[in-house]
Amino acid sequence: MKRIRWGVVLGYIILVIFAIITVFPFIYMILGGLMSFQETTSIPPTIIPKHFEWGNYAKVFAQAPFARYFFNTFVTASITTIVSLFNSLLGAFAMVNLQFKGKRFIQIILLSLLMVPGEAIIFTNYNTIARMGLLNTYIGLVLPFLTSIFYMYYLQSYFGSISSTIYKAAMIDGASDWEYIWKILVPMSKGGLFTVGLLSFISGWNSFLWPLLVTNEDSMRLLNNGLSAFASDAGSETQLQLAAATLTVLPILILYLIFRKQIIRGVVRNDLKG
Amino acid sequence: MKTNQKKAWLFLAPTIIFVTFFSIYPILRAFVMSFQSGSLINLSWSGLSNYQYLFKDPEFWLAIKNTALYALISVPIGLAISILLAWIIFSKVKHKSFFETTFFMPYVTSTIAIGIVFRYIFNGDYGLLNFVLRCLHLPAPIWIDDPSMSLTTIIIFGIWTSLAFNIVILMGALRNIDPNFYTVADMYGASGAEKFWRITMPELIPTLAFLLTMNIIGAFKVYTSVYALFNGQAGVGNSGTTAVFYIYNKFQIVGTPGVAMAATVVLFLIILFITFLQRKMMKKIGEN
Repeated sequence: MKRIRWGVVLGYIILVIFAIITVFPFIYMILGGLMSFQETTSIPPTIIPKHFEWGNYAKVFAQAPFARYFFNTFVTASITTIVSLFNSLLGAFAMVNLQFKGKRFIQIILLSLLMVPGEAIIFTNYNTIARMGLLNTYIGLVLPFLTSIFYMYYLQSYFGSISSTIYKAAMIDGASDWEYIWKILVPMSKGGLFTVGLLSFISGWNSFLWPLLVTNEDSMRLLNNGLSAFASDAGSETQLQLAAATLTVLPILILYLIFRKQIIRGVVRNDLKG
Repeated sequence: MKTNQKKAWLFLAPTIIFVTFFSIYPILRAFVMSFQSGSLINLSWSGLSNYQYLFKDPEFWLAIKNTALYALISVPIGLAISILLAWIIFSKVKHKSFFETTFFMPYVTSTIAIGIVFRYIFNGDYGLLNFVLRCLHLPAPIWIDDPSMSLTTIIIFGIWTSLAFNIVILMGALRNIDPNFYTVADMYGASGAEKFWRITMPELIPTLAFLLTMNIIGAFKVYTSVYALFNGQAGVGNSGTTAVFYIYNKFQIVGTPGVAMAATVVLFLIILFITFLQRKMMKKIGEN
């Protein structure tokens, strides 16, 4: 005879309650984006709309250049990811495989810079970009983020686990450093590079304060800035705000559900070492 | 044999160049600007006047007070809930990765978008939260439009957002605990609570110290979630203003970058101090 284990039952109840609290806002956002205006303000509140008002999305695209925001966000997040990954890759390779004077010094400087909060430098960086005349340009949007000490540090720990004898063997076989990086290091650490790329792309997609500072033209806005501006302009039309919010979140949510394992593993690894 | 492979600098060059221009220079520049006044294109030395202004400005103190309260309330509550949930997922249920995936969702999604949803749920008149509260015959406060509620609303949203990261990191730490500890404890007939307090908690302390620091630092930088909840404002009548809001306002809207940078330096020092405390704490733990 099996006894009911009350501890487990209670555990499940608590988990399910919190899981609902976590997921509900996302579901409500998607459903709310498909409601009519009356349904969004009705009491008792509507949870599931009678008719799915797909027209809300047409209105969102008509009222604000969301297609343009998507394009801008995709471009800046991609450039930031690719270039910073490339730079971190080269830097991490040098720090792991090469011996040189000043290595310790560089390591100490980089590690102390990891502690500097982005908010402390973002305003002076804005000043630099403004003086270079790069406001409202893609270059201005990406320039300060083309290298990432954080990801370089992450890759260092990843490359460190690849035995240095492999590097030495490659050198004896007459490979150049460049060949070693692309033919051995990159293929061997595909998983780590991919995870770093994903995390970088996601944080680029969600960036808010920096693009808020360096863009003021509607055509150069990124999704999150476009979304918050739209939310103020759309005023009380909650259903349109929620439809726009859904547009912003959905691509990343899909990416997350596909690559959840890599993303979660990447974050855990990142931060315990960081 | 000591080798000095100078080519290393070639590989490090992009990183060093970008870091110099966009990390090191801006820190020094912020520090210098905190002693200057005037507009961005016309700065002149003014000694400590920015700091004097700052410490006399009630708005600055409100920002610091709000930020500190936010950190002191939301961080421990968020952490406690996270420990509870991570422990339940780890020890009681199957489908661990399903729950992990669920709880981590808020971490990857845009705060602005979710803030819009929360603003809707928190709406005083037709919001879902107040509907539920009224059904339960509980008081239904005006979450968004009442200045005295701003901070509470920000804290609730902050706790909701913070769970994701904490849970996933704690799950990682729980998996790293040597399972033999539990096996031995079982042999001696230890209860679930005993195992939790005698084995799990002590083993989690380094992770908890790390999370505590990360959370407090994060809390001191709170900005986007406030912006999202109150539609670009810091609550009604600036009632929910925070340190970064204050800096943004002084820098971009009022046009006194010197004052903004003085506030930045103060915020930076606070964060540095917290990091320093964590190092000390970790060292103490390491010695025991």
